[in-house]
Amino acid sequence: MKLRMSPQTILTLDAFLERPEEWKYGYDLSRTTGLKSGTMYPILMRLAERKLLETQWEIADPGKPPRHMYRFTPEGLRFARANAPEQATGGLGQVALGLAEL
Amino acid sequence: MGAPRKLAAGLLKAVLRLVPEESRQWATAMLHELDFVDGDWAALFWALGSVTAILRHAASVFRMNLKRPAKEAGMNNTGRKALGITLGALSALFVAGCAFPLLRLISLMFPELGYGHASWPYWLTVIMIPEAIFAVATVLLWRKRGPVAAGILATALIMGLHVAVHAAMH
Repeated sequence: MKLRMSPQTILTLDAFLERPEEWKYGYDLSRTTGLKSGTMYPILMRLAERKLLETQWEIADPGKPPRHMYRFTPEGLRFARANAPEQATGGLGQVALGLAEL
Repeated sequence: MGAPRKLAAGLLKAVLRLVPEESRQWATAMLHELDFVDGDWAALFWALGSVTAILRHAASVFRMNLKRPAKEAGMNNTGRKALGITLGALSALFVAGCAFPLLRLISLMFPELGYGHASWPYWLTVIMIPEAIFAVATVLLWRKRGPVAAGILATALIMGLHVAVHAAMH
């Protein structure tokens, strides 16, 4: 499966790898990775289209809008781990940030 | 709720109404997420980025839909052309529709410019820029996607004619 591994994509994958079993929100991911919505959402869309991420709507409290949540599919987790053998929290992200700053 | 946040919500709601079905889930996700963004200006920047992301997604869906009918043996040549013209016209209308939120944004950010019907920001945003986009798109698409280019050109001409008639009458 071909996926362009840009520093931003690596950052996003790294954020998901921290606790792969947990559902994550878009805004929280944006804050974790430091990516703007215009950069992060296309990455999430590509990952979801390739079935590497699964999406779900949160059951919201009354008066609050339901939030869209994301987490790895088993295939996505395998893909991320294959592309991040060290898998240490933040490790890949730091590499990616370093690449982005170059 | 401050003005930037209101504008952000308005922008995302407007885009949500315009995007194809395939992009709607993502547009809704971004709109709902807006409520959790800290700060009014951060919310506006979140919405602007989100609109860019949605439009890119909608454009890729549009391109895929454009290719799909050509592969379907069931649809004849006339049907494909009609679909292309319709898609061209709809995309041109979408671009023209985007000019108004942009004008609103400019008026909010630079209130001293004025944005009445006779002001230059109005003419530039609502007429000149969309018409320039239509001209460029028509030239670029003419050879490979003739019907889409024709749809865009027809919409541009109708809009231009509308503006000319409006200017002549007022």
